[in-house]
Amino acid sequence: MNPWELIIQQPVINVMIVMSHYLADNFGMAIIALTIIVNICMYPLTLKQIRSSKAMQDMQPKIAELQKKYGKDKQKLAQEQMRMYKESGVKPAGCFITMIIQMPVWIALYQSIMLALAVAPEGLLNLSKYLYPWPIVYSVLPLDKNFLVLDLAQPNFVLAILVGVTMWLQQKMSMGTPADPKQAQQSQMMLWMMPMMFALLALSFPSGLSLYWVANSVVRVVLQYRVTGWGGLRRKPPEATGDSERKFVKFDDPEAQGERKSVDDVGADIVITDSEATRKDVYHPSTPSKTRYQPGKDRAPRRRKR
Amino acid sequence: MNLKGKWRVGRLVLLAILVLAVLLVGFGCVKGLAPIGWSGGNVSGDTLFVGSKEGRLVAINLSDESRLWAEPLKKVSQGGGLFGCSPAMGGGCGGSAGVAIYGTPVVVGELVFIAGYNGKIYAYNIETLGLRWVYPRENNLKPFVGGLAAYDGKLYIGNEDGKIYALDAATGDNLWEFQTDDKVWGTPAVHEGVLIVSSFDNKLYALNAADGSLKWDFTAEGSIIATPLVYNDVVYIGSFDRNLYALNIFDGSLKWKFTGENWFWAEPVVVDDVIYAPCLDGKIYLLKVANGANIDEYDLDSPVSSKPAVVGNTIIFATRAGVIYSLNTVNGEILQLADFEQDVDGPLAAHDGIVYIHMQDMSLQRINAESGAILRSVSLESQN
Repeated sequence: MNPWELIIQQPVINVMIVMSHYLADNFGMAIIALTIIVNICMYPLTLKQIRSSKAMQDMQPKIAELQKKYGKDKQKLAQEQMRMYKESGVKPAGCFITMIIQMPVWIALYQSIMLALAVAPEGLLNLSKYLYPWPIVYSVLPLDKNFLVLDLAQPNFVLAILVGVTMWLQQKMSMGTPADPKQAQQSQMMLWMMPMMFALLALSFPSGLSLYWVANSVVRVVLQYRVTGWGGLRRKPPEATGDSERKFVKFDDPEAQGERKSVDDVGADIVITDSEATRKDVYHPSTPSKTRYQPGKDRAPRRRKR
Repeated sequence: MNLKGKWRVGRLVLLAILVLAVLLVGFGCVKGLAPIGWSGGNVSGDTLFVGSKEGRLVAINLSDESRLWAEPLKKVSQGGGLFGCSPAMGGGCGGSAGVAIYGTPVVVGELVFIAGYNGKIYAYNIETLGLRWVYPRENNLKPFVGGLAAYDGKLYIGNEDGKIYALDAATGDNLWEFQTDDKVWGTPAVHEGVLIVSSFDNKLYALNAADGSLKWDFTAEGSIIATPLVYNDVVYIGSFDRNLYALNIFDGSLKWKFTGENWFWAEPVVVDDVIYAPCLDGKIYLLKVANGANIDEYDLDSPVSSKPAVVGNTIIFATRAGVIYSLNTVNGEILQLADFEQDVDGPLAAHDGIVYIHMQDMSLQRINAESGAILRSVSLESQN
């Protein structure tokens, strides 16, 4: 056995088999339980990754500004970006490093699931070399491949769809709205491409793996929700474009009227922010006030018969 | 779309391909996910029959090495998955090109029989390999992993659906069925009208070969997958609980058991009242037939899953790693004959002092058991 098998695969396989025994001889439950446990173990790293991604997204408008400012001078742009990252304490490579650290764990988990499933006779034969000499391990094998109505050894269309949907949800939640329309387009493509690709892969692999992907995505959705809320899934109010500094004209401000120089400058001078706009005691030009019932005006227009 | 836009799309496509490649390599096909098959050889007259990894029955004339191939077994259409990485009914990523064949062909009269992972049993004419009958005629059963046993004009086989099937060898008619509680992968053994067959449900069943009625059953601590050996009215069978059991064939009572360090997967052999039991812990255990006392053991450094071949006073063992050993039963001398560096899982066949080993590369290796000389191999690959 090579070090990878000895240190990673063998313990994971045996733990999974034992868990299967304690979870009513249900291998599907063991997959879900192990996915949750591994996610809990990886929680600090995952949290770091989510926060790092969030920070990067929050900086998008500023980066867009920099791009506008230094669009032609690539070197200066890179320097300014790095300076900005440094000042904000964000490490752009941080996301990828945590992803790279996590990747072998996921691959090991996948390989262990596939080996423990022992789909073909050769698989069962191969599995024998990974087993610890624990009586419990020998008594459980071969594992029951049925989980609910699923045969975990065969691909399942419904589970493949679930893989795509949960992955899309997770990505959508973690995804912000880049200021740059080209970047936004790229993000949109990735948002659809990855879940579709995984759903297609799920159609090809045993559904035990799909179950693992779905469980993993659901756990990630929960983690993401805890850190960023609904994130990209949140419905935006129609007037709020995401810019909290968007300004509204306050027509009845005497100071502003005094400073007004020309009619064309309306909107550039006197401002209130979104936070003020939501206050009830402030007059909102866009919100019609309604003090009393006005006959004939408040009534809904009658439909005319054609 | 301008050049910059095209470049962006190109980068995205490249990224997608890269991700897909990483997924397929890292999350790629794990070894043992797809069925390959490990059919052993069976010699009848001057012809050796073997199921090839192309999913075909091959007849090799041992005198002139001419070969004859039967039509390939038909795959079941629903398997395979999108990228072929799913364990199909006979195929899959890294699996055999055709339907996997695990059981060794059986010859009865002028017919030769084989069972496929596609859930069908085929009967061929021994001379022409023309198809005589197929069971079931319509649709497919679950995969057959174990081989067929023939007795008194009948064929017996277990299936993944947990049933033992008894068929008329001449017509393929179903005579009776017996339901166990789990999959049956082991090849049955028949001895004086008693059919012994193992099941994943931890039980070894003894059935009346004539009508399928249960005589007795024995429950082990783990699943039983091995093929039983019957010798002097005693059944010897290995189990996943790492025990080799010796049971009385008349009532299934336990005579003795021996515990190894891993599963006893392969069928043991008996020479001069000594059992030579290969184990997946890489050892060959020498046990006394009478009481199971461990006389000796040989460590071959690799699991042994294939049934050994006995030629006179020599037993030939093949490890999963492809190393071939010969053990002299008289003086206990063990010699390494060859290292083929390929997995060997199927049972070895012996005829006229020559041992035949079905290899992963679709060749049939031949070794002279007495001299240890490696003879020219025979390719099982079809020419069409």
